[in-house]
Amino acid sequence: MNKNATLNKQETLSRFRESWSKNSILSTLFALVVMVLIQAVVQGINAGSFTGMFGKMWMAWLNILRNNAYAGVIALGMCFAIISGGIDLSVGSTLCAIGAALLYMLDEVNGPLAAMGITGPLTYIIAIVAALAMGALMGGLNGALVAYGKLPPFIATLGTMKIFRSVTQQLTQTFNPAVPAGFKAIASTRIGRQIILPIIYWVIMVIIMHIIFKKTAFGRQTIAVGSNEKAAKLSGINVAKVKMKIYALGGMMCAIGAIIYIARIGSMDFANAGSGYEMDAIAAVVVGGTSMAGGKGSLVGAFIGMLIIGVMNNILNTVGVPTFLCEAVKGLIIIFAVLLQKKDNN
Amino acid sequence: MQKINKSFGANRVLREVDFSLATGEICALLGENGAGKSTLMNILGGVLPADGGTISLDGKPVNFATPVDSLDAGIGFIHQELNLINDLTIYENMFITHLPQKGILLDKALMQSKTRQLFEKMNLDLDPNTMVRDLDASYKQIVEISRALMQDASIIIMDEPTTSLTDPEIQRVFAMMRTLKEQGVGIIFISHKLGEVMEICDRYTVLRDGNMVAQGLVKDTNPKALAEYMVGHEIHTESLKREQEYGEEKLRLENLSDGKHFHDISLSVRAGEVLGVTGLLGDGRSELFQTVFGAMGRHYTGQVYLDGKKIHFSNTHQALDAGLAYLPRNRKENAILKDMSILDNGSIVYLPKLVRGLFIDEKKQQEAFRVQQEELRIKMGDQYDLITSLSGGNQQKVVLAKWVMSSPKVLILDNPSQGVDVGAKEEIYGIIHRLAESGVAVVVLSSEAQEVIRVCDSSLVMYHGRIVGRVCGEDMNEKHIMYLATGGNQTEKEGVK
Repeated sequence: MNKNATLNKQETLSRFRESWSKNSILSTLFALVVMVLIQAVVQGINAGSFTGMFGKMWMAWLNILRNNAYAGVIALGMCFAIISGGIDLSVGSTLCAIGAALLYMLDEVNGPLAAMGITGPLTYIIAIVAALAMGALMGGLNGALVAYGKLPPFIATLGTMKIFRSVTQQLTQTFNPAVPAGFKAIASTRIGRQIILPIIYWVIMVIIMHIIFKKTAFGRQTIAVGSNEKAAKLSGINVAKVKMKIYALGGMMCAIGAIIYIARIGSMDFANAGSGYEMDAIAAVVVGGTSMAGGKGSLVGAFIGMLIIGVMNNILNTVGVPTFLCEAVKGLIIIFAVLLQKKDNN
Repeated sequence: MQKINKSFGANRVLREVDFSLATGEICALLGENGAGKSTLMNILGGVLPADGGTISLDGKPVNFATPVDSLDAGIGFIHQELNLINDLTIYENMFITHLPQKGILLDKALMQSKTRQLFEKMNLDLDPNTMVRDLDASYKQIVEISRALMQDASIIIMDEPTTSLTDPEIQRVFAMMRTLKEQGVGIIFISHKLGEVMEICDRYTVLRDGNMVAQGLVKDTNPKALAEYMVGHEIHTESLKREQEYGEEKLRLENLSDGKHFHDISLSVRAGEVLGVTGLLGDGRSELFQTVFGAMGRHYTGQVYLDGKKIHFSNTHQALDAGLAYLPRNRKENAILKDMSILDNGSIVYLPKLVRGLFIDEKKQQEAFRVQQEELRIKMGDQYDLITSLSGGNQQKVVLAKWVMSSPKVLILDNPSQGVDVGAKEEIYGIIHRLAESGVAVVVLSSEAQEVIRVCDSSLVMYHGRIVGRVCGEDMNEKHIMYLATGGNQTEKEGVK
C-alpha cells in the first residue's frame, strides 16, 4: 500500500516534470504565482492587517493591469515579430504618431472631420478605423523594409522608430487639442466604480491574438519562418508576405494601444509618450518564454510576462525601493528569465 | 570497449557491445540509423555515460565523465557538424581551446610554427594563415583532424566525414587518413558509404539494433555482405524494374542558363517518368532546379514550360500553386522546421488548402497527414511531438509527405535519401515509383550513381553546369556515369547538349 503510494507520487512527479519542461507557460505561470505571494506578504505588512491586505492587493492589481494595458497590447504584436525571428523597435514611436493623428482627427474645433460637419460617435468610428489603417500602414512600411528591402529587422525598425518620433514631434509643435468626452468614455467609463475597460480590451486582444497564432495558417507560417526561414521558403510559403502581415499586425496593435491611451489619458506628450514601450514589450515577451532566436513562443506568455513585470514594480514601490533602482531590478528579471529558459532547453 | 550497455528510458540502445581498435588501424563502424553507432561513440567520447561495461585504453581501464576527459586521454572526436570558427585563421582554430600567450598578447609565432610543423609532418600543403572560411569542406575536415593531433590524439573518431564532400575532396581526406595510419594513429570511421569502407578501412564492426552483429577484416568481405549485415536481410543494387508508361510531357526546359551555375540546359520530363539528374557535387543541378522552382529569383535566360505553358516563377509559392514540388537537399538546413510538430512539418505546404473560413481545419489536417503517414509508413510517436524526435529516415519521409500531400504534377527530389539508412532508402525508392505510376513526373537529383541506377528510368549527367550525356538501359552503369560526371567525354567531343 505504502509502496504503491510512493510509486504513484514518483509517477506524478515525473509527469509533472515532463509537462513542465514541455510547456514553458507553466513555468511562467508559476513565476507569476510566486510573485503574487511575495506581493501579498509585502502588501500585508504594509497594510498591517489581513483584511487590509486584500484591499491593497485589489487596488494594486487594478493599477498593474490598467497601466500596462497599452504596452501589453503592443507586446502581443511584438511577440509575433520575435517568434518570426525579427523584432520591432518602432512600436513606441508608432503609438505616439497614431496618438497624434487620433487627436488631430478628434479635434472638435479645428479637426478635419469637424470641418466637414461630422460630429459625435461617427467621428470616433472614423478616427478609430483611420488609426487602425495607419497602424497597418506604418507596420507595413517596417514589413516592406524587412521583407523586400532585406534589412535586418533591428536596423529597419530602429530607423523607423527615429523617423516616426521626430516627424510626429515636428508636426505637433503647436498642437494641443482636447479629446471629446464621448471618445474618452471608450476607456474611461467606470464599471462598478472602477475603470476596467482598458483591462478588458487588453484581455480581448490577448484572446484574439492567441487564436490567430494557434488556429490560423498565418500563425503556423509565422513559426515556420522563425524556425527555419529557408525551409519555409522552400516549402512554398510566401515568406515576404508573412513578414508583411506580421509587421502590419504589430502596427495595428500599436494603433489599438494608442486608441486606449488617448481614450484613457485624454492627451499625449509627443516627446515621451510610448518611448520605452518597445523595451517593456520585448521584456514581457521574453519573460513570457518566447525565444529571441525565433520559432517558439506564446501570446499568453507575453501577457503573463507583462503581469510579472507589473507585480515586480508594485512590490518594489511598496517596499520603497528608489525609482531609479526599479529599472535595475527589471533588468535583472529579464536576464534571470532568459537564463531559466536556457536551462530548460538543456 | 567491452560489454557496453546503454538505455534511454525503456529503450535499450546498446546491448553488451564489444569494440576494439588497434594502433595504426582504420576500423569502420557500420549500422543503419538508430543502430547505436553514435551512442557507442558518444560513450567513448565522454559525451554520454555508459550504463555498464568497461573501456580500456592501452590495457588500462578508463572512465570518461566529460568530453574533456576523453580528449585528454587522446581521443579526438570529429563530429559530423564541424566545430571550426570560420572567421578565424587555421592556426587560431588549431589552438582555440588553449591559446598560448606571451605576456598579455597571443603568441602568434608559436602557433604558426607549431601548425606548420604539424602540416609538414602530415604532408599537407596548407598555409596556417588562411581563413577557415576560405577552405573547402575537405580541408576543414583536415584542419579539424589536425587540431585533434595537436592535442596529441592517438585515436580519432570520424562521424560520417564524407557526406558533404565531393570525390576529389574525399580522396584528400583519405590521403590524410592513410598518413595518420602510418604514424600509428587509430581511426574509427563511421559511414554509410560502403564503397569508401572497402577502400580505406582495415576492419569493420557492424551494429544492428544495439547488438554487435558482425566483425572482421574488410579484405575478407564485400559491400553486399556488409549491407546485409546492416539491414539483416538481402539488399539489391541493381535497377528496380517497373512498367514504364509515360503520359504527356509535364516539364520542359529550353536553353536555360543563369550565367553562373548552369548553362544551356534543355530537358523534358513526362508524366509517369522518373528522370535522374546526376553528376558530382557542385555540378549546378541543385541551382538549376531551385531556379525552376522559383527559389533563386528571376535571373535566367531560356524558357521553362509546365504542361506546355510557358512559366516564369520568381517565388516558390507561385511554383507550388502551379503544381511544382521541390524537396531540397540538406534536410536539416533546408527542410526541417525544428520547432514544429511532426504534424505541422508534414502539412506546412498544404496548410493554406486546409483552412476553412479563418482557421485551420485541424481534423482535416490530421486526416490528410494520416493518409500520408500510412502511405509512406512513417514510424512516429505522437503527431504533436517535435519533428526532431524522429530518426533521419522518418524525418525525410515527413518532408516528403508535405510535398506528396500537395499532389504535384512535377516532383523534384534533391538527394532524397541523404542521411537515410539502407532500409529507409529502399522504402523511399518504392514511394518514388508509386508516385510515378500515379502519373507524377519525377526528377531525382543525386550524386550517388547507385541511387540513380536503382530508381530512375533514365538519367542526365551534368558536368560543370552542362548536361554532358544521357544514360539509360545498359549504359546506365556506375562506370559510365562516373566517366561522364568527371567530364570524361568533354575532351573527346565538344559542345555536347
